[in-house]
Formats: sequence, structure tokens, C-alpha cells
Amino acid sequence: MTHLTSETFDANARAALNDVQLRGALRNATSLFGRRRLEASRSVDNWEELRTQARAIKDETLLHLDRYLEEFTANAQNAGAQVHWARDSVQANAIVCRLARERNARLAVKSKSMVTEEIHLNSALQDSGVEAIETDLGEYIIQLAGETPSHIIAPAIHKTRAQVADLFTEKLGIDKTDDIAHLTLTARQVLRDKFAAADIGISGVNFAVAETGTILILENEGNIRFTTSLPKTHIALMGIEKVIPHFADLELFLKLLPRSGTGQHLTAYQSLITGTKRNVDDEGPNELHIVLLDNGRSRMLSHPITRQALACIRCGACLNACPVYQQIGGHAYGSVYPGPIGAVITPQLFGLAKAAQLPFASSLCGACREVCPVKIDIPELLLHLRGEIKQTSDVRNQKSERVERNRAEQLAFKLWAAVMSRPRLYEWSGKTFRFLQRGAVRDGAIRKVNGWLGRLAPPLAAWTGARDLRPIEPETFREYWRRADHD
Amino acid sequence: MTDRQVAHLQTDARAEILQSIRSCLAESASLNPHESPASSFDVATAPFISDERSLVEVFKQQLESVGGHCAVVGGETELRSALQEILVEIESKGLLIRSLALSDSPLLGAIARELQADGHEVAVTPATSDLFQFNVGITTAQAAIAETGTLVLEQASERNRLISLLPPVHIAIVNAVDVCATLREAISRVRATCETSPAITFITGPSRTADIELTLTIGVHGPKELYVIVHL
Repeated sequence: MTHLTSETFDANARAALNDVQLRGALRNATSLFGRRRLEASRSVDNWEELRTQARAIKDETLLHLDRYLEEFTANAQNAGAQVHWARDSVQANAIVCRLARERNARLAVKSKSMVTEEIHLNSALQDSGVEAIETDLGEYIIQLAGETPSHIIAPAIHKTRAQVADLFTEKLGIDKTDDIAHLTLTARQVLRDKFAAADIGISGVNFAVAETGTILILENEGNIRFTTSLPKTHIALMGIEKVIPHFADLELFLKLLPRSGTGQHLTAYQSLITGTKRNVDDEGPNELHIVLLDNGRSRMLSHPITRQALACIRCGACLNACPVYQQIGGHAYGSVYPGPIGAVITPQLFGLAKAAQLPFASSLCGACREVCPVKIDIPELLLHLRGEIKQTSDVRNQKSERVERNRAEQLAFKLWAAVMSRPRLYEWSGKTFRFLQRGAVRDGAIRKVNGWLGRLAPPLAAWTGARDLRPIEPETFREYWRRADHD
Repeated sequence: MTDRQVAHLQTDARAEILQSIRSCLAESASLNPHESPASSFDVATAPFISDERSLVEVFKQQLESVGGHCAVVGGETELRSALQEILVEIESKGLLIRSLALSDSPLLGAIARELQADGHEVAVTPATSDLFQFNVGITTAQAAIAETGTLVLEQASERNRLISLLPPVHIAIVNAVDVCATLREAISRVRATCETSPAITFITGPSRTADIELTLTIGVHGPKELYVIVHL
């Protein structure tokens, strides 16, 4: 299947809106995660304080990122890890492929890692003759299907059990079943053989502690424990923003991340890995390689507003809360990072020109800011990026359609302002429209009657192309107020 | 790219990234004079139960809420009979209890001999390739967290890393004095051991996934069943 790109966001989003099954799945997932997050956040009595503190830790780290990265590197190396630095995805892939080649590796098991998706590590490994198998159940499903994740923490929410069953029947040769437990057991068995045979385990990193050189990875399934315990070589990839100063800081983040992500108080497993085994006979890999990836991150430090995005701990709460994501899902964003946080990270990592539509894919309602465990002001970031995009595009398309549309828009807003600033005219217009709309209102919107109502004529069609035309209420607020006053 | 080129790039990359971080931070400093953040990140936490018995009760309750099982026993004899009962219970669920893999904790030595006498196939820290075939893994836990129902396994104390992961059932034995009240307490406790333990594992309940249609399924990669015996 061809993967969507951010450049075609508008078309992707339109296609997603027509996918009934996808929208049902999204509705279930986002409302369930949203509800659980709310309940879990209420299970601690100082949630707001935790968010503020976590953000303060992230801000402090980012302001001295060079120092903390060096401290982390020194301590991880002291404990036996080897630390590699990668400026971009080409360098990161080259490092991992070289490590694989030097060890004559044929098979790598991988646990879920957004950063490896970001750099397309799997295809780089494939080109080097190394098969990389995803071992998180959701990631395994979409890898078999040749797709990309649609949600940060639930990568395969867009697939039904029947689709998974068809996939497993086709690729793994099992009898068709709609029993989820059986499908899960099948994956368990297939992947155990892979864990046993793998030469290399590749993981991501949730938090990297500067003062001890420890990396912490959270999960529920146990595949990360397999990936980081069984193969002789463990390679962990992380963005440079994952570092935190102190071991004790882990408490805050372990309280915030699972509650915000899945609504759990703690996920089933946390692996805290500090270097390699101290004696040859001990359990665990012989070597640990940690790859620190920049890939556009350090650039985000150059402005206090854009820097915020580096505080993200990848919980996915803003996706679930976003009215845009709730309707279109992750694939439409055409990026490994979807939703509100994706709309601000993607243009910064991959270039404004490649993702110019994403910062506009928001109503700026602020729900993402409300749920963010590290209080990232995503609307502020979206506006900042819109400003940057506007500046560059105004220079580029001076005589384009955009300018004409801007004129129409300006005229419309002038008219609007004229009506809004004259109370009598405003009231009269309301009454007139209410009279005109009689008979056309159904289910709270103006519906198509005789083929023309519900869609405005150009240039106003730009408004109704993707929106219902809302009717004037039977009673306006002013009418209500006058009535209530007399009562 | 040759390996030498890669190695060369490596040194460059480190310097380049650090340089980029420093120059971008310098650039941002002029845009917004940053207030220095609070020097202490200490978050006030509500006082938590300190009585050992009630801590164990909270631990048990939390563990059970995430699908784990917990038995609280007095001395060592009770510990062994609790283990027997758990094995019977596991068998009644249709799971096998024929082969048992034990960690090399001194506490488990006598237990291993007894289980063997009962007719189980018992191995202390079997080879990894064999471990895939075992029905039950038995380890100790070096600490537990009451507020979350979590076990803390430190690699420095015993060979527990794979025995607690590969077999379909994990039974862990923890001393009541090692039950911490809070996550904070446990983290400050393991801080010292991360120097000697390359892996510290927090375990809260059995392995779980909800990746297909958000339906909770227990036992995807790790153990399906988690039993904890807390001895006083």
C-alpha cells in the first residue's frame, strides 16, 4: 500500500471522513482513552502540581541540554554502554546497520519505537540484509499488513478483529477465527521463536537519566523485556530530548505517562537499564548501544515557543482529546507523529514546506493543552507555525488563488464586523434568516432541499464544502434575555 | 559509506549536535529572558500508611485490581504450604505445573528440594533455551510498592530476569519489610542498586494488551498469571 504524506493532508482527511469503519473505531478508542485518562488523573490529588513540576524539569533539561546529554553519555559509558550520536536519520541508520553487519546479524527483534519509525530504520535494515520484526502486537499487525501506525500508543486501532484474522490467516496460515485471545496467542507463539533466534534487540527509550546513565522503557506486553534481555546485542534509539536530570525525577514521569496514555496507574512493566551485565555469566545482552538522534530537534531549541514541543513524553493524550484527530485518525497526518503534537512536530522535523497544512488542521479549541501532562501550549505553537508558514507562502505565491481567497475572506469579515457592531442590524438579520430558513432545518442543521440549500454558492461554498450550515436558533440569546428579565 | 567514514562522522556528529544545541539556545535567550526554574522539584505528597500490615493489605488490593493474585503468610512453613496451594490453583485453571524453574535466591533452596520431592521437575536457573519449555517460574522480589501493587526485581540479587518472563506463570516471593508505601520510596531505594543491577524491572500484574479492538487480553508475551506471596 502507498503511505500517505503530509503534503496531501486535505485529501487524506477527506478520504478518512468517508471511512465509516475507521470513524467508528476512532470514536471508541478516543472516547475510551479520554475517559480513562480523566479517571486516572483524579486518582492523584495533586495532578496539576505534578504537571507543572514535570514541565519545570523538562524546561530545565532543555535549557542545559548539552550538559545533560554529556552527563548521560559519561554515566552510561561508565556502566558499560556505548553511546553513538546521529545528526540525522541517515547517520542513525548507518550506525545501526554497521552494528548489525559487524555482528553478522540476520534477524532483529524490535519493540515499539517512534524514533525508529521516524528514521525508517526497518527499510534501512532490510536493505542491509537484516530482517527486523516488530514485536508489539499492534506494531506486528501493521507490519504484516504493510501499514503505518495510526495512534501513538495503539498503533492498530484502525483495524477490526476480522481484518486481523484475515491477515493472520494469509500471512501465518492459521484457521480463520474471530477470537481475539486466539489471535493474541498466535502472535505470542510466532514471536517467541523470533525472540529466541534474534541476533539483535532494538528498542526505543522513554526516559534517559543523566545522573546514572539509566534508560527506562515502559510497556504492557512484555515484548520490551524480551527484546532487551534475550538477544546478545541491545540497541536503544532515542531523541536527544528524552534525557532528564535525576533518577528521582522518574517518579513524576511514571505518575504522568501511564495515566495520560492508557489511564493506568502504572503500565505492567518498566525496564530500568543501566549499562551491560557486570559478569559474563549474568543474564542479559553482552552489549548495549545507545543511539542519540538529533534529526532537527536541536533547531527547535532556538525559540521558546517551538522548544516546548521537545517536552513531549509521547503519551497520546492530545490525540484522543482532539476533535480533528477524533474524526480523521492518524494516517491522514501522513507522519509518524499524528494529532495535535504531530501537527507541531512534523513541520519542525521534516520542514514547513512538507507539512504546511498540518498546523491549520486545528480549531484551536485548546483541548490538547488541557490534557497535556507536561503543559505544552500546542495552540500557541500552532499559531506560531501558521505565522511562519504564512510569511513564507505570501512571498512565494504573490498572485495566486490564495490571495484572491484572502480578498473574499477579508470582504466577508468586513461584512460580519459591520453587522456585529450594529445591534439593531444584527437582530434584524437574525430574524430575517430565521424566517428564510423555515422548513429547511433538520437534525440541527440546514439540510439540502430542492438541491441547493445546505450548500452556499461560490465563493461562500468554501465554507459549506466541509461544514453543515447551522440554522439560527428558534430563540436568540437576546430574546431569551429579554424574556428571562421579565419573568 | 565505509566503516571508517561512519566512525569519522560519529565524532563529528557529537560535536555538531552539541554545537547546534548551544547556538540555538543562545539564539533563544535573546527572545525571552528565561526565569530560572525552581531549584527543588519536590512535590508534596499526602502522608501514606506506614504500618507494615496495612501496607501489605494495600499492596494486595492494588495487585488484585490489575489481575494479579496475592497471598499473605506468616513464617516459612506457611510460605511452603501457600506455594503448594497456588500450584493446585494454577492446575485447576487448566495450566501445567509439571516443570518449575527457580531463581538462585538462597530463600528458594529448601523450597526447590521440597518441590522436587513432591514430584515436580525442578531446575534452578536453567539455560535460556530450555527455559522456554518451563511451566512456572519462581523468583523472589527485592521490593514491592503498595500504592500501585508493583514488584521490584533487581538483577544484582538473583537470576530473575528471564525466569520472571518466559514461563506462562510467575510466582514471586517478597518479604513484608520490603513493601514500600509509594513509588517515590521505591525509586529512591533502587537508585543505589542501579549501579550494580544492569536491569531493574517493575512488574505490575500479568502481561496485557488491548491492541486488537481495544479488548483487554492477558498474557501476550509475558506471564498470563502472576502470584505473589508476601511473608511477614
